[in-house]
Amino acid sequence: MAYWLLLPGGLWLLLFYVIPTVSMLSISLQEGTLEQGYRLTWNLGIYGEVLLAHDTQILRSLGYGLITTVVCLLIAYPLSYTIAIRGGRWKNVLLFLVILPFFVSFIIRTLSWKFVLADEGIFLGALKSLGVLGEDFRLLGTATAVLGGLIYGFLPFMALPLYVSLEKMDPSLLDAASDLYSSRVSAFLRVTLPLSLPGIFAGTLLTFIPATGDFINAQILGGPNQTMIGNVIQREYLTNNDFPEAAALSFLLMAAILFGIFLYARAIGTEELTG
Amino acid sequence: MSEMERDGLNESISRRELLLRAGRGSAYLGVMSLLAACGVEGQRAEDTTEREPLPPQAGELVMANWPLYIDKSGPTSPTVTSFEEQHGIDMSYKVVINDNEEFFGTIREPLSQGQSAGYDIIVMTDWMIDKMERLGYLEPLHHDRLPNFADNALPKFKDPIYDPGNAHSIPWAAGITGIGYDISETGRELTSVNDLFDPAFAGRVGMFLEMRDTFDLVLLSMGVEPADATIEQVEQAQKILLDNRENIRGFYGNDYADQLATGNLIASMAWSGDIFALQLDNPNLRFVIPEEGGNAWTDNMAIPAGAEHPTDAHLFMDYVYDPRIAANITEWVWYESPVAGVQQIVQEDVAEGGPGYLKKLAESTLVFPTPETEANTHPYKALEEEEEQVWNDLFQQVIQG
Repeated sequence: MAYWLLLPGGLWLLLFYVIPTVSMLSISLQEGTLEQGYRLTWNLGIYGEVLLAHDTQILRSLGYGLITTVVCLLIAYPLSYTIAIRGGRWKNVLLFLVILPFFVSFIIRTLSWKFVLADEGIFLGALKSLGVLGEDFRLLGTATAVLGGLIYGFLPFMALPLYVSLEKMDPSLLDAASDLYSSRVSAFLRVTLPLSLPGIFAGTLLTFIPATGDFINAQILGGPNQTMIGNVIQREYLTNNDFPEAAALSFLLMAAILFGIFLYARAIGTEELTG
Repeated sequence: MSEMERDGLNESISRRELLLRAGRGSAYLGVMSLLAACGVEGQRAEDTTEREPLPPQAGELVMANWPLYIDKSGPTSPTVTSFEEQHGIDMSYKVVINDNEEFFGTIREPLSQGQSAGYDIIVMTDWMIDKMERLGYLEPLHHDRLPNFADNALPKFKDPIYDPGNAHSIPWAAGITGIGYDISETGRELTSVNDLFDPAFAGRVGMFLEMRDTFDLVLLSMGVEPADATIEQVEQAQKILLDNRENIRGFYGNDYADQLATGNLIASMAWSGDIFALQLDNPNLRFVIPEEGGNAWTDNMAIPAGAEHPTDAHLFMDYVYDPRIAANITEWVWYESPVAGVQQIVQEDVAEGGPGYLKKLAESTLVFPTPETEANTHPYKALEEEEEQVWNDLFQQVIQG
């Protein structure tokens, strides 16, 4: 019985997850103002109110998170596959290149994109003066810029778990498949893909959850029409000091993400994931 | 199994059940009391005017201010340097304020816990001074330590409605919210807030992220005096903003200025002094007070509650009320100074052959407002908390798209 080994982790979970979650739940059910203070009034109606007031932003965030995850998967899979299977002695160098952007702060990198994508900046300005793009063309303040920022920012979170699961795979399994008259396509679908499922699952979680809750990209690269739920929560909390609304929105976001992931895990099947 | 054994079994089951139920019950009560314990204390301050005696000078000072809001020479400010030399104080001047609400958000937590926010002087706009004072987040000022303010402050900057008797703040500078634009891009003069909604400027117009700035300017364009605005009129202003959302690139703090300078915006709600500074690089930039009126505001120095070096803070606050120092700052920031005699000093500097732009400054009716300028500018509405929440909710709908 070595359950006591779980104690440090359990305490950590209690201190930094259970207690904050309970306190967030409590704050969401309170009413009041900064001057008068906030009192628990079991105001359950707030959940309906915030859902109605910010449904567009919640759906937009889930949509952006989903698109980011799918595009990251499409880019990262061939990338990780190539590094893991064909990387050879360049493996570590290539992997380092994937992680390299982490050496610069996330905010600085996003601000650099704002500079690069400026209407009259080095990229669009040049294309406009060449006549490739119209004078009014812009990327900043559009969904393209926000999604681009999200995909750029979260790509390594998808690539690394994929790499780990593909690297573990025994290449002789593919030889065996071809010995048994499997085509390359069916070898991929029936051997490689199932074996990399744990990596796909881990990468999806690491990408979808933070991308859905992200507010930096929408704030720096987006305009009013790209406002994500993270931006709303941040403003309700820091600027409007509407703590109950911010807490209720955070709770709803958490619930929506947990529900989505539960469905996803069920669809993939749990045995595959621990395999 | 004998009767007795069965009885004993039954008894033990029921006892276990009892314990379980008691456990569940107390867990339930525990969670309930935990939920209730998470309440947040009200922050409305008691009305106290008693002042703690000031500690001795600490030799250190940390000030938070807005961008482009003090004279500069290379990486330092001559005003800060001369103050440090004169008083033997190591001053850290930080340009960290982009927007009143955003900055307030970063210091609210320590202030609500009664801790130092890390700054000895902050510069906040009039309505935020009022709000922070109501929450008890500002130290009362010791006016016996501010002789220059008593002697040199212009009468209109003394005893303002947002801070009676200057009990918690003294002005740093004043300015006007109006419209800034690049005439080479717009191709015409802009004179009204409604000009910002010209379809030709789609996606190239900026507005302020501060709810009061944006709502009040739109209210003025509707012919409504902000101080008298009703909720229905604010709803109308909201509708105007929502109907024209295709024109609005974004909602900004002080960073709107960069966006105008880089050309991402061609027109924006703007603060008077910033545009003058930018004109040195781009002479096509213009600032105009809308025909229907602009917002007049005052930014004030205040000492956050629990500040570690209040004595040093008073020294600096009084130092900038020396007319010569005030003129040095005005010649750089291009906002209205609350200090008497600044215009004469600027004119003398022009006569002595100062840089060419000083002549323009000395004649500016925005930096040295005439009665006509003042007739066309209006203060913000002083909002009670409940009203502020309603306005905030309406504004949230505008900025979240």
